[in-house]
Amino acid sequence: MVTYVAQRLLAIAFILFVMSVLIFGITQVMPGNVAYMIAGQFATPDVVAAIEAKLGLHDPIYVQYWRWASGVLRGDLGQSLIMERPVAPLIQEAMARSAMLAGVSFICVAVLGITLGVVAAVRKDSPTDNAISVFTYLGISVPEFFWGIVLILVFARYLNWLPSGGIGDPAFGLPVDPKYLILPAITLTFALIAHVSRLTRSSMLEAMRSNYVRFARAKGLAESLVVRRHALRNALLPTITVLAIDIGFLIGGIVVVETVFSYPGLGRLLLFAIERHDLPLIQASILIIATIYCTANLVADILYAYFNPKIRYGRPAH
Amino acid sequence: MAVPLIDNGGADAPTARPVRSRLPRKLVVGGIIILVLLILAALAPWIAPYRFDEMSLLKRLKPPSAAHWFGTDEFGRDVLSRTLMGARLSLLMGIGATLISLVIGVPLGLLAGYRRGWFDEILMRTMDVLLSFPPIMLGLLILAVTQPALWKAVVAIGIVYVPPIVRITRSVTLDLANEEFIQAAHVRGDTTRYILFSEILPNAWPPIAVEGSLRITFAILLGAALSFVGMGAQPPSSDWGLMVSEARPFVDSAPWIALAPGLAMCLTVIGINLLGDGLREALDPRLRTQRGA
Amino acid sequence: MHWFSRSIVAGMLLAAPTWSNSAIAQGTLRVAFGSSLNTLDPAKTKIGEEYIQNFLIYSGVTEIDRDGKLKPDLAESWTASDDVKTWTFKLRKGVKFHHGREVDAEDVKATIERVIDKATGSVARVNFEIIDKIEVLDPQTIKFTLKIPYAGFAEILSDRQARVVPRDKLDTIGQEPIGTGPFKFKSYKPGDRVELVKNPDYYVPGTPKLDAITFRIMPESAAQVTALETGEVDLVWNLPLESIERFQKNANVTVDSVATSTWDGVIMNAAHKPYDDVRVRRAIALALDKKALVEAALYGHGSVTHTMISPTHPYYNKDLATTGPDIAGAKKLLAEAGYPDGFKTTIFVPSGRPPRERVGITVKELLKPVGIDVDVQRVPWDKFVKDIEGKEALYVDGFFSRPTIDTSIYPWYHSKGSWNTVLWNYKNDAMDKVLDAARGAKSDEERAKLYKEFQVLAVNEPAGVVPYVLNHVNAFRKNVKAFQSSPMMWLDLRQTTVQ
Repeated sequence: MVTYVAQRLLAIAFILFVMSVLIFGITQVMPGNVAYMIAGQFATPDVVAAIEAKLGLHDPIYVQYWRWASGVLRGDLGQSLIMERPVAPLIQEAMARSAMLAGVSFICVAVLGITLGVVAAVRKDSPTDNAISVFTYLGISVPEFFWGIVLILVFARYLNWLPSGGIGDPAFGLPVDPKYLILPAITLTFALIAHVSRLTRSSMLEAMRSNYVRFARAKGLAESLVVRRHALRNALLPTITVLAIDIGFLIGGIVVVETVFSYPGLGRLLLFAIERHDLPLIQASILIIATIYCTANLVADILYAYFNPKIRYGRPAH
Repeated sequence: MAVPLIDNGGADAPTARPVRSRLPRKLVVGGIIILVLLILAALAPWIAPYRFDEMSLLKRLKPPSAAHWFGTDEFGRDVLSRTLMGARLSLLMGIGATLISLVIGVPLGLLAGYRRGWFDEILMRTMDVLLSFPPIMLGLLILAVTQPALWKAVVAIGIVYVPPIVRITRSVTLDLANEEFIQAAHVRGDTTRYILFSEILPNAWPPIAVEGSLRITFAILLGAALSFVGMGAQPPSSDWGLMVSEARPFVDSAPWIALAPGLAMCLTVIGINLLGDGLREALDPRLRTQRGA
Repeated sequence: MHWFSRSIVAGMLLAAPTWSNSAIAQGTLRVAFGSSLNTLDPAKTKIGEEYIQNFLIYSGVTEIDRDGKLKPDLAESWTASDDVKTWTFKLRKGVKFHHGREVDAEDVKATIERVIDKATGSVARVNFEIIDKIEVLDPQTIKFTLKIPYAGFAEILSDRQARVVPRDKLDTIGQEPIGTGPFKFKSYKPGDRVELVKNPDYYVPGTPKLDAITFRIMPESAAQVTALETGEVDLVWNLPLESIERFQKNANVTVDSVATSTWDGVIMNAAHKPYDDVRVRRAIALALDKKALVEAALYGHGSVTHTMISPTHPYYNKDLATTGPDIAGAKKLLAEAGYPDGFKTTIFVPSGRPPRERVGITVKELLKPVGIDVDVQRVPWDKFVKDIEGKEALYVDGFFSRPTIDTSIYPWYHSKGSWNTVLWNYKNDAMDKVLDAARGAKSDEERAKLYKEFQVLAVNEPAGVVPYVLNHVNAFRKNVKAFQSSPMMWLDLRQTTVQ
């Protein structure tokens, strides 16, 4: 188990390094550079050149990379060229808000998804099962931005129950006023619930067909006990994998959902940076997001390994 | 035990099932939806009542009526016509991007799964790196460095989906490479290219096809999302994601502008998902019988 | 008390502050605007939302009030030499920056030099290039020597990018704005909000009356409208024109509209045929129905005008008739120019600037009767700035109000103007003479006469068509008192209070 974890950590470190080079390299290719953006409509070549020199954009590329990479390792993510302030606090704030949204959504996806999957499996082929199936199918078929807009239309415009965007006035040290989380979280949850519930359902069905469950039933145990104690436990293993994959979808969906709800998180920050060709901000945002994604996958792999006896206890001697 | 190379519907295999006569319902329903969409998309320039960019400020923001079944948008353009033209764009995006990922990914996966060795290692590490990005991030990264345009988004999405294609091709190839008929071909002296494309691929395509159909859905959704945030299709194009994005300021005064493309997107994706699921169901039993008892 | 009920009570007490949905502290004004700020450094500001901060956090040497009149601000008086080439300003004593130090002439010098510096990248740089020398005579006196006679110099110093910054804080001014204005900077969370608090040492006694201002960034116009209706914000800056109708019947909300000299125009680039022929340009001017353009592009919230001099301005030429629509006259001119059957052309509009897009579309419809076949092409804004402005033949562009008449006109209409060569390449010797004379004009009557002449020239020998000047519209709830919209599109909140 330990060797497995060590291997994975090493792999992650390598991947992060290559990723940083990739991110840096691609963004350096950008035409219409940031100096142009700062100069605005009066961008004559000498003005642009003066700004470029001030920003150190004329140094050779590996020097710039080294400056950036060593800074990142120290925790200094550079200076936003357009806003002229350090990138790290910007990302920290945005990340806190996105994390809250992602966290709430993830919990909802896990809890609701597993519940629906179990219910669907236990009531296989009943109208409930079909209804759940249709419901979750709709979730993955409809793009998040459309759902978000429909939710805004219904709950914020017509019914006026919930705000249509932003983060409100945060209190209690929370990054966001909870009321503002509801609609974005619903949007994200709905989009991802299908994978979890479908997989839970099918692995529950398999588990319930298995020998030891049949044995438990034969022993005369109550059905709910059978479901809860025996089937569910073993059905959850593949579900963990799917939840991990969903983190990826979650992070991906956050960009769109934050745009729809004008939610100032990491996704919106990235788009903001891209629009303004603000290199350091783009580089830092993508790097952070990708790192989180990697880490989430790593955690999922480790969890899977922990629960999977084959990996946990190593290969058998024979 | 020898496995027949030629697929004759499983008639030779001991546990053959008459698959053809009982296509799954999902496949049929999905297939019909997609067929209708493809026809509409193909004929769009001719059946659309107006041109997609025909603007008239006198007729702006009009609700659905006999003349305009889905009303008009803020520039007086007919929403139905734009949605129909948008169908072409979305389907092109989805299919185009998937084709790109297949064209690049399948040969790489075949080679890696068959040859193994350092090529395999390097390829898989590269794929791991690419997979470390959430798809939309990778797409944004590629598009951030250039002026956004529809075709660039298609290429970016194609690149983003190369890793899953490589993975599945490689894993199927790994399985098949150990089969006796492949080893026999190798001993016979057949070229690698022949083995890969004429021996392995014909047997490997079912899971790749299923994965590919899944990818089309993802590609359409990713393409719409990129256009929605402004990094894909550009105005005055009538890509569905772009239409929804442009409709946002008017979503309570003129909701039809966003509803038409939104519903169209739902229908398309549901259709493809059904088709893909049905395909998987139809192909799986056949796979089992090919392996023998 | 049982632990359960105790925790409920505790929870309720903790939750109490969030129960009230209204202002956090008494006298806090909540404003909504649409865009995140790129910078808080006045010299680098480019967008309306940033200009608002310039006005509230900083002061200028001079100030233009909402009637367009020049007033002293940091300077209490000034004199100009007879040849209007040398200007001497006397600054007030005892005005403090927000970090405690008194402002002096060195600060003004540093501010202006910074704007002139190319590396700063300020869009106001060209206005200050006429300065030859800046001398600090004593801590309260500063002398500017200009390269050319320029009557409007005092007005230029009131401009947005020239607001005075402390010379010892120039490195951090973008993050920690420190000025002498009525409000102090508290915090800025990009994408979320800007918070300002009252400056108790502001040199105008009795102001500001507000305790604090919170600016909420709401990019979606629909969200702004909802926030205003529900009372989540008290004021929406620059309300999108299509939302105005919603509030006409709302008793809780006042819609305050004011004419500005922000204008949009149909730009005809004289470097391209057929727009090098003044008859073609005049024909198009005659064919366009300016009232229809105001209706289509601005939903009626604008004023028809001859040039960017607004109809409410004292120099507006009332004796001149509004051009168009005159289809017969237009056709005649076109025939004279050699295009009896019209011609085909393309008009470029920037996507993301809806009023200008609408102008382009309406122009297409309005030019059809004279035989000109227009194809409308939409181009994203940064591509527009790079590839269209100054390069293409026909396009729609627009510009913000400038504080002075001269800076609003000269750069565009004078053959040496900084905007002329990146816009429409207009060359007219008579026009140059009038504008140069107006710059050096000593009396108000002389200037008025010359600018009226300018308008006549601009209409008879047009560079492009300026159909309207926009209205700037703010909407606010009835609990906001003593607020008026400003033609400069910023917010003067010194007298405002909120209940």
